[in-house]
Amino acid sequence: MELEVKREKLVLRIGTQKYEWQIEPRYWLNPLIYVGILIVLPVLAYFFYPTLLPTLIDANLLAAIAIPLSWMTLGTGRMNFGPQFYIGAGGYAAALCSIHLGWPPPVTLLVALVVGLFFGLLMSPLAILAGGLYYTLLTLLFPLVFLELTFIFTDVFRGDVGLFGVQTMVNVGSFTLSQLITCMGALLMMLLYMFIVDKIMRSRFASSLAAINDDEEVAAAMGVNVNKMKIISFAIPATMIAVVGWFYAHYYGTFAGISYLPLAFMLKVLMVNMIGGRVQVYGNVVGGYFIAFLELLLIKLTGDLSPVLFPIVLLILLLTLPEGLFGLYRKRHYREYLPTLHVRR
Amino acid sequence: MKEMLKVNNVSKHFGGLMAIDDVSFSINEGETLGLMGPNGAGKTTLVNLITGKYITDSGSIQFLGNDITRMVPYKRCKLGISRTYQIPRPFPELTALMSVVVSVLYGKDRVNQSLDDAGYEATHYLEFCGLFSKRNVLCKDLNLYEMRGLELARALATTPKLIFVDEVMAGLNPAEAAKAVGLLERAKEHFGVTILWIEHVMAVLMKAATRVVVLHYGKKIAEGPPQEIADNPLVIESYLGSSHA
Repeated sequence: MELEVKREKLVLRIGTQKYEWQIEPRYWLNPLIYVGILIVLPVLAYFFYPTLLPTLIDANLLAAIAIPLSWMTLGTGRMNFGPQFYIGAGGYAAALCSIHLGWPPPVTLLVALVVGLFFGLLMSPLAILAGGLYYTLLTLLFPLVFLELTFIFTDVFRGDVGLFGVQTMVNVGSFTLSQLITCMGALLMMLLYMFIVDKIMRSRFASSLAAINDDEEVAAAMGVNVNKMKIISFAIPATMIAVVGWFYAHYYGTFAGISYLPLAFMLKVLMVNMIGGRVQVYGNVVGGYFIAFLELLLIKLTGDLSPVLFPIVLLILLLTLPEGLFGLYRKRHYREYLPTLHVRR
Repeated sequence: MKEMLKVNNVSKHFGGLMAIDDVSFSINEGETLGLMGPNGAGKTTLVNLITGKYITDSGSIQFLGNDITRMVPYKRCKLGISRTYQIPRPFPELTALMSVVVSVLYGKDRVNQSLDDAGYEATHYLEFCGLFSKRNVLCKDLNLYEMRGLELARALATTPKLIFVDEVMAGLNPAEAAKAVGLLERAKEHFGVTILWIEHVMAVLMKAATRVVVLHYGKKIAEGPPQEIADNPLVIESYLGSSHA
């Protein structure tokens, strides 16, 4: 292994492989400003408007679901309409272990990881076997079947009441401070996901994913192991989404499938993806915050009508902003230093 | 000349249709083999069998001594088999550069090559095919001739030993067609590839091919030097009907 520091990049050689990372300030200055704003927001909310903290937590968690979902969409070349299945899997696994076995959050995190990976691997052949519409329908179906199971096996999942008594993640005495720490935890998880997926999207691995997204058959003819890439791109994001389920369980101290598994939650996650721009890692964060605040605004302004107005407003936005909010920004501030993946929308 | 590809008694049917019926032929290293036949003769199906899109019902295919009959497409590519498509199939949402980068990175396991290095190598192939100035253009925005050039660049970037060129002339005007033929000849000379050239235009194969194999209704009806094929009554009958044979 050999590490070489050049003026603008780090070069790492391991065996016969060579990896390069850009370290010139112009490559990381904007992302740093972006991350800085995200960190400052909860602190400002804590001091000036603490009731915003739950919305910020929601925004970060929505983005944390949408970011791996983007990777899954690109790598499988198909749209998964059931990401909430993995939230359910991770959340229930964590909640059950916490309630019945008394395991603390760090241990249940490992359980959620294993359960997410298990279901991810188990379902990944779908991305190989099922084509566009069938894949969409099947993935749409799984969370609904899971929801039914939570009602059938009420003694295990407690139906629509849900599991309660899950050990909370943070409890420092002050509720607002606990919320701030939880918000920072959600932000940290989301930033970690953003960092990982952004690195992947700029790597050689992503070039094969983009090729698969465009034409699987040609990608295979050019030497890409399509099945392997699809399984990786399905199983790992599924695991990442399951961890968000773990977070939900330990954040609220309860976990009920009825809150996450129905189509309404799926719609919210997909809208984050659409508003932010699909396979735009930074865009998903913008989308997450936009959707969380839009929901809050509609509840404040329209009260009971908000569940009806929310999807209508989103559909109007989708029609008027087909490239997403971040897509608009990118159009106006277009500059490329590195080869960029352009992905089918 | 050393035998590179050997196709032994290969058959393939789709339902009741016999697409390829007991076809055998071989390709020697360094030659340009023409594959011709009327529409629906099974030329593209045969290429799909060799490149791995379809698996044969019977028979075997050997490439450089390896049995590739049931091998998956990406492994065949890594062994040195590449292709272009009759109707160009670029990666529409990738730039020309990135679509060649995919071939550079995955066509063959290269030592010490980063993504940036792959980009530099890809520009070499784009330049060879006259597409350097189009490197940052999305593939879907290229014209037909450029797409064919890109397909060749992408195929060459996998560092193949054998390239299947599927009706490269289709849809090109005479000037573009002449340029495409010149490009293929230069590719053969420059990269030392062996070519299996599927073509309808007999005049092109007469000049470019060293041998020609003719298919009709999935069967091989003739094989030999181009001049001999042009005079073959079975070939004339398959193209023009029995009254001209």
